[in-house]
Formats: sequence, C-alpha cells, structure tokens
Amino acid sequence: MKRLLILALAVVAVGCADLVAGRALGPSDVWRVLSGGGDPLARHIVLELRLPRTLVALGAGACLGLAGTVLQAALRNPLAGPEVTGVTPGAVLGAVAATGLGLAGWESPAAVVAAAMIGGFAGAGLLWLLAGREADDPVGTAVYGVLVSAVLSGLTAMVLLVAPGELGSVVQWLVGSTEGRVWDHWTLLWPWALLWALAAWTLAAPLTLLRCGDEQAAALGLRTGPARVAALVCAVALTAGAVAAVGALGFVGLLVPHLAFALFGAGLRVALPGAALLGAGVVCGADAAAQWLSRLLADMTDTDRLSVPTGALTTGVGAVLLLLVARRSREEGT
Amino acid sequence: MAVLCALLALAVGALTLGTPYVPLAALPHEFVVTELRLPRLVLALVAGACLGAAGLVLQEALRNPLAVPEMLGVSSGAALGVAAPLVLALSVPLAVQPLLALAGAALGGALTLLAAGLGRSPSAVLLTGAAVTAALQSALLVLMVLADQLDLQLIYRYLLGSLSARTWHDVTGLWPWLAVALPALALCAPVLSVLRLGDDDARALGVRVGRARLAALAIAIVLIAPVVAVCGPVAWVGFLAPQLARRLRPGADAVRWLPWSAAWGAVIVACADLPARLALAPVETPVGAWTALLGVPAGVALLRARGRGHPPPGGGRRTRSAAVTAPRDADPGERRTTALPETDGGTR
Repeated sequence: MKRLLILALAVVAVGCADLVAGRALGPSDVWRVLSGGGDPLARHIVLELRLPRTLVALGAGACLGLAGTVLQAALRNPLAGPEVTGVTPGAVLGAVAATGLGLAGWESPAAVVAAAMIGGFAGAGLLWLLAGREADDPVGTAVYGVLVSAVLSGLTAMVLLVAPGELGSVVQWLVGSTEGRVWDHWTLLWPWALLWALAAWTLAAPLTLLRCGDEQAAALGLRTGPARVAALVCAVALTAGAVAAVGALGFVGLLVPHLAFALFGAGLRVALPGAALLGAGVVCGADAAAQWLSRLLADMTDTDRLSVPTGALTTGVGAVLLLLVARRSREEGT
Repeated sequence: MAVLCALLALAVGALTLGTPYVPLAALPHEFVVTELRLPRLVLALVAGACLGAAGLVLQEALRNPLAVPEMLGVSSGAALGVAAPLVLALSVPLAVQPLLALAGAALGGALTLLAAGLGRSPSAVLLTGAAVTAALQSALLVLMVLADQLDLQLIYRYLLGSLSARTWHDVTGLWPWLAVALPALALCAPVLSVLRLGDDDARALGVRVGRARLAALAIAIVLIAPVVAVCGPVAWVGFLAPQLARRLRPGADAVRWLPWSAAWGAVIVACADLPARLALAPVETPVGAWTALLGVPAGVALLRARGRGHPPPGGGRRTRSAAVTAPRDADPGERRTTALPETDGGTR
C-alpha cells in the first residue's frame, strides 16, 4: 500500500512536469493560471491544450499498463504484450481502415474506438488461430505474434496507400503521439478506461491463479477457459481505448508489467493498480521528455517543425529494456 | 523446368499487360516496353534473386527458418539509411545511396546480433531482431512526421518496396554490387552446409563458426543493401523463397538450394509486381505490400507443415506430458523461458 501511495505521488509529479513542458509557457506562468490568474492566451494554452493532453497521456498509459499485465497473467507469458500479440497492430488496422473507408472520421472518436476494438479482437484471434496449440510456449507465441503483427502492418499500409488523404495525420498516430489531444478525447477515454479497469480489477483473483498454471487453478476450482476469455476481452478493450486515444505507443504494455511485478509482487490485486499507475507515469513522463527533446532540437536546428512523437521515445527506450528482459528471462531458464 | 516456364509466362505478362496493352509481335518496337517495362522486369528479377539468396544465407547461417532480413533489423536499417537524407533534404549523389543503405543495414544487423549473441537460440535472435526493427521503424516514422506531405507519399511508397518508375539507370547501378556478392556467395555456400550441422560439429570439421556467421551476414547485407537502395525493402521475399526452395528439394543441401532460392525469389517479386501494377490501376500499389500479404501466410503455412516432423521455430510443439518426461529435441543452446520467478508455478 505504501508503495502504491508513493507511486501515485510520483505520477502526480510527472503530470505536473508534463504540464510545464512545452515551448510557450514557463512553470511560473502555468502556476499562475492554475491558481486562477494569467492572461487569456496562457489560460487557453494550459486549460484547453496542456491539461487534456496530460490527462489523456495518463489515461492511455494506465490502459496500456493494465492491458499488458492482464495479458501476461492470462497467457502466462512474460513476453506477451499488446504489441506482440497482434492486439495493437490489429487495433491500428481497424481504426485506419474505418477512417480510410469513410466509416468513421477523426471527428467521431466513438466509431474509431469501436473499429479499433474489432481490429484488436481480429488480431488477437489471428494469433490464437496460429499459436493456439502452443500457447504454453512463450517464445514461440511471441514469434507468431511478431509474424501476425507484420501481416497486419502490411494490411494497414495497403489501406493507407489506397486512401492516402489521411497519411500525414495517420503517421503521427502510427508511432503514437499526444499532440493536439483536447477535452473531447479525454471525455471519451476516461469512462471507457475506468469501466474496463474496474473489470480488470475484479478479475485480479482469477488472474493470479491463472498465472500459477492451469492445473493449479483448476484444482482450486477456477474454470480456466471462461476466466481466460474474460481477461483477454478486458485486455483488448483497454488496448483499443488507448490506441484510439493516442495511437500505437510502442512497448509500454509489454514492459510496464515487468516493472509492476518486480515492485508489487505477484498478487494482482495490488499489482494491477500498480501497473496502471506505472503505465500512466511512464507515458506521461515520455510525453514530457519528448516535449523537452523537441525543444532542445528546435533550439539546436532553428526549425519549428520538429517535434518528437511520444511513441518514438517509448519505442526507443522500450526496445533496449526489452532486450534486457529477454536476456534475463533466458538466463533464468531451467 | 517449372521455374523456367513460370518465368517465361511472367515475362510475357509483365511486358504485354498494362496501359497500353502491347501485343507480343510489337514488343521490341514500343518505347513503353523497352524503356519502362523491360527494366522494371529485369529489376524485379534481380532484386528478387538477391533477396531470395540473402534470405537463404541468413537462414542457413543462423539455423533459423525465421531469420529474414526484415526480422533482423537489416531491412529497416537499410531503409533508414536511404530515407534519412531524403527527409532532411540533404542532396545525395545516386552512387552513394547504396553505401548509405549498406551502412544502415550493417548497423541494424550488427545491433541485433550483438544484443542477441551470435550462437543464441533462433527465437532469441528473432525477438531481439523484432525489438531492433521496432526501434528503427519508429525512427523512420519520426522522420516521416518531419516530412512534407508530398515527400511523405514518396517515402511511404518506398518504405513498402516499390518498383514504379525505375529505369535502366537503376538497373545498371546494381551490377557492380552483384559482381562483388556473387563470387563471395559461391565461396561461402559450402561453409553454410557445414554450419547446418550445429556449432560443435562444424567446429570439429574445422570451421570457425563465429567468423563464418559474420561472413554470411556480411554477404547477405551486400546482397540486400543495393536492392533496398533502389526499390525499398520488399518484404518477406527472403523468407518465402528459401522455404519454397527447401520444400521442393527436400533432399538437397545449402549449395543446391542457393540457386533455387534465388530463382524463386525472382519469380515471387516479378509475380507480385503484376498485381502491384494492375490491381488498382491507374494507381500503383507497392510490390512490398503484396509480397507481405501473400508471403507471411504462405510462409507460416509452410513452417507449420514442416513443423510436423521437426521442431518449429522458437521452441516446440510440446505437449505437457512430453515437457515433463522427454528431453527437448531442439538445440542445446535453447532454454525454455520461464515465468517470472515469484510465481513460477513449480515447473522447474
């Protein structure tokens, strides 16, 4: 519990850092606005741009952290994450296809979430069809997951080439970015995230059992099949929400669970909220760091066009961490 | 024989179909054919052959049916090397482009192998490669975010692999590279068949395993980079062509598979270029998208079919009882990844 509190405080601190990261206003200006003062322009920037952006980053991060933890627990696979189980690429494909075919626009976010949802399920289903019989071999499943992701990315590319009008805005979104997120995105994200986060939390006990192995769980009277399906639905829903809000942030859902289990132990009742907080902190921190980086680069190169997408940062750092995790789990092999 | 027939049919199709349709008799006199379609066909064949051969070299050297350029970070690295100057508006002479691609490919491949370790299990290399690829891809996407809308179209098309608007000029740029790579391939092929036996046996036969692997990787990179520089990373050809070659000649060894793999690669790319040109005419789709769409499912099907008798990639089709009683039949370097220690459910 103490750790959770400390972590929550840390997340608040990161959120504040994200609020003051940016080009136009310094920390003192932001503080003035938050305490009720400031000129109209500053107020607009803080309240209508930075605050929702920060909140969306927090919400999406929490979703991804939860989704990854649920997936890893349900599949008993330390290498499962939304990115390598076809869920994220599927969700991206769904959203891109829906917008490309004109079924949903960026102005109707609800439709995008629905499309991302369908796509995410399709991706997960594809993987399950391929690797279903080898589900207890983590690395094999991960390999198939990479292949599935490749197919789905190819399809996404096809859609984008057939309907290239959106390419510019979609590219941002393929890498994952929190630029230009406004209150609309937040109002859509938080009820969805809250609903599924609660659902995930109610699944904490069965998931903890599932992580111990099917026989043990069955011996304790858990019906493993339905429990696993419920967990997967939960994970896909959370991922779809996050993808619809900020795009495909790389490696957050894959790595946050490892941190969460390391910090909070294996009891998911505590580890799940921990993972949500960690995910929120990580994404928000990456967002703040990306903005600082953009500023640095802009100062160095004298261009205003340059902005580092948040997803680029999480993917870059995540790739390095993933290598470490893969190494460690190999060295611990029996 | 079958390959020859397929190639002939393909060539006829590639040269006659399209807008305008050119009947066979008029082929040698049409500008459209001699200056556009013919170089495009030649380029498709050469690129496919290079990718197929490179794929086989990689798969044999790493003893891993999934060791393909796009999984090892090689393709992404090369593409990054080519796309970066494009976006940053640095003018690069055409002759230097393959060198940039080469540097990028070497970087990607080296990163993967350094991180995974040379003699590691196939699946470990693959996962590492996936991570490296993802990082490079995100770098590419960052570049694309910076690009102008017009450039974006061009870059995106290139990144998927596209043969559109390629002329004789592009084809002639490939020859010097091939002149370097082909003799090296011929020298390297026998060593590949020894590497297949496993590291210990290869050592016993006097092969320096680490060096041989590095040499194979270098050759593969020399084969891939110029192709990527000209027409982008055409996806999954290096995966599918060697698989086909093996399936159709199950008794042969690496030396015999190499030409077949190259031939199949050529057929695949030339084949995929037809729908790329004609499917959504007048809009051209990138050839890479077609190879990815067709290649991955086909490849997975082939792998699964093969997996009946052998361990499939990344571990095995192990039933629970077998896991407890029987030793693994995979290579000894491979270990089972366990869950995190706190909750390892007593499987040790």
